[in-house]
Amino acid sequence: MAVDTIVKGPSPTRRAPLRGRKRYRRSEVAWGAAFVAPAVVLFAVMGAYTVGYGFSLSFATWNGFTPNWRWVGLQNYADLLWNDPTYAPRVHTAARNTMWVMIAVPVLTVAVSFPLAVLLNSVRRLKTFLRSVYFLPQVTSGIAVYFAWMYVLQPDGAINLLLRSVGLGSLQQPQGFLGNPSTALPTLIVITVWSSVPVSMMLYLAGLQAVDPTLVEAARVDGAGTWHVTRHIIWPLLRPITAIIVLLALRDSLQGFQTFLIMTNGGPGNHTNVLGLETYKLAFLSQLDPTLGLSSALGWMLFVAALVLAAVNLRAMRRLT
Amino acid sequence: MTWLTQYINSIYLLDIERRLSMAPWTRRLGTVMTSQRRAWRPALAVLVTLALGATTAACGGDSDSASSSGKTLTMWTFKQSHVKALQKVAEGFQKETGISVKVEAYGPDDAYVTKVQAAAQTKDLPDLFEVHTTGDDFAFGGAGLLTDLAKDVDDAWLNSYLPQVRKDGSVTDEYYQKSLAKDAKTKGIKLGQRYSVPLTVGTFGIVYANKQRLADAGVTSAPTTWEQFIEVLGKVKAKHPDNGGVTIGFKSPTTGLEWFLQPMAYGLLGPEKFRGLWAKDKAGNFASPTGVQVLETYGQVTPYWTPGTQSLDIDSADMSFVQGKSTFDIGGTFTLAFLAQNGFDAANVLTFPVPAPSNGAIKDLSLAPFTLTGVSVSATTKNRAGAVQWLKYLAKADVSATFAKEALDVPPTDLGADPSAAVGPALGAMIKAFGSGPNAYNPGDTSYRPNAYDGTPVAATLMDYTPLKTKSAAETGAEMTKQIDAYWTKQ
Repeated sequence: MAVDTIVKGPSPTRRAPLRGRKRYRRSEVAWGAAFVAPAVVLFAVMGAYTVGYGFSLSFATWNGFTPNWRWVGLQNYADLLWNDPTYAPRVHTAARNTMWVMIAVPVLTVAVSFPLAVLLNSVRRLKTFLRSVYFLPQVTSGIAVYFAWMYVLQPDGAINLLLRSVGLGSLQQPQGFLGNPSTALPTLIVITVWSSVPVSMMLYLAGLQAVDPTLVEAARVDGAGTWHVTRHIIWPLLRPITAIIVLLALRDSLQGFQTFLIMTNGGPGNHTNVLGLETYKLAFLSQLDPTLGLSSALGWMLFVAALVLAAVNLRAMRRLT
Repeated sequence: MTWLTQYINSIYLLDIERRLSMAPWTRRLGTVMTSQRRAWRPALAVLVTLALGATTAACGGDSDSASSSGKTLTMWTFKQSHVKALQKVAEGFQKETGISVKVEAYGPDDAYVTKVQAAAQTKDLPDLFEVHTTGDDFAFGGAGLLTDLAKDVDDAWLNSYLPQVRKDGSVTDEYYQKSLAKDAKTKGIKLGQRYSVPLTVGTFGIVYANKQRLADAGVTSAPTTWEQFIEVLGKVKAKHPDNGGVTIGFKSPTTGLEWFLQPMAYGLLGPEKFRGLWAKDKAGNFASPTGVQVLETYGQVTPYWTPGTQSLDIDSADMSFVQGKSTFDIGGTFTLAFLAQNGFDAANVLTFPVPAPSNGAIKDLSLAPFTLTGVSVSATTKNRAGAVQWLKYLAKADVSATFAKEALDVPPTDLGADPSAAVGPALGAMIKAFGSGPNAYNPGDTSYRPNAYDGTPVAATLMDYTPLKTKSAAETGAEMTKQIDAYWTKQ
């Protein structure tokens, strides 16, 4: 009978597909409109209007006070990329620093969170407690934590003290980890990774719960050890999750700047300036110069870069999976 | 929030009505069409409620307007230390005129500017606001946010101020010409207008030293030359190797350049050659032998920086001094208030201006005061006369002295031969040290720089030489000149 049902067509209990558009009653339409209206209004004001306003601002110069904008066409984009001898070098330096962050943060996030998730998935005791501990950076993240990190990284901070007390005094940083131009950027990368590992670890853990245990058992029966199981079964199965984690980390690295703003403000000197921070500085720390348009233009370039990276990343991961 | 509550209530009521309309007895009462019309009504009501709510919310903005009418003036400031002091003198003003002044502080500076930006957009400005003189006031004034005070501030009023600061806040030819440049932030100002009157004066380039630590190292008087200063740094560092250093808020890189290098360079080179460091002429800019000499002289302080000072902002650097982690703190006249607020004993502070080298062009270098902050009246105030009256009241010598004493800041008024009697010994000593003429370095004079000049990237490059030691003096000078030249190309 079941076969007959399939052959004959859809089950009588299923709604027949509609030919043409379904006609809704006017009252249904009104109700729908009423419930959707707040979201539409909110998006129109907070989303579409703001996006449109910001985009048009990228073609003008304005300092936030004058009654009129001065339209400059694509000049803001050209100034940032090559044309202006004062802004372009700053953007180039920030782009170089951002590139290092974009390479290091996704790689290190995956390198730390994947093994951590595998380990946490395999422990038998205190599983919930350990997961909570490793998730702490996510729930405590915020300005206060970055300030705490600043104190820890100072010349007389806990890290130098720890290094000295375990006999690794040669690794101490007399100027603090944020005061030395060669350690400041790597230190900020490590802190960014520290704050992004919890969510990545949770994503991997969710993925690990979904892995069919029979696959692992079959591999073990065939004599595969833990390393081989992880390398040849678990890792390939979790590639879609890796793609998401890499994508999130890339987006954060490209556009995020709060860690850099709070902890170094781009310093010492200009050694940790990144593109997100430069955008913020052009908007709010330019001493009333008319650079809001430049800031907006840089923001839009970051948006386009993020879109391109997302597309490339997804395509690459689709091919791999 | 009212409209949101109304909306939620209406949704709840409509849900009840909908349930009722679906009840069998309702259907029995009328046709399907009637039921549909009924269902339309609540949906329409939701939309109308929303629209009315939004309108009410939009119109309700005025009820919380910062600008006050009648007998209360609202004044914004970015300096927390000025709130109590202003409120104290406002009590006397209220007794005299019946007008009260409500003082609100928003900080730090960039947050304050953003606050003014937002208030300007929503037409919600206060009656008065404190501004950085010849900076914010001209930018706000050019944008039409301020009222022109030129006709209100007469000679009698002006004479109450120190002669050096009487013009501050008014548009001189120099600032007018600068405003004509493309994309000038002060575009719109007109010659002769006045957009603020002075509230506090002062200067950069003041060294604060821990008197006790200096005494421990055998230093009992302030150094008068750069060489003596370096020698004192060495002695104190030898006595207090862990906390005998100098601190400054390098997280704002301009502090090193403008508060420390520039006064010393002015004393070393004299006015003309000093201006030449920023000039287009290659003979005397930072890349020249003269510029390299300035940088190398400044570099002598490198061994004495407090470790990690390159990561500190201005407040953290001051706190490093308060907490005893540093023995010297470079700041301005305004630093004293912060130190005192945070518990540093003012009697344990030795202050002196950044000294000039003994072989410099100026032997008796002093620091000229300029107006640091002023007060402006917004263009949208409903009580312009009252606001102007308040400004005039603040310019009275006794009121100004009371404000200064409370705020621990230097007033712009002439307090006579013995200012210590009016404002106390610490502030009095600073006022007495002020100079004028060619031997006095005036940080407020920026006429020699390109119009578009932004000191931050130039000062960040200077940090590569000291304290970071990643570039030589010659490399740093060349890079600074390249950056300054880029600003000249925009002229």
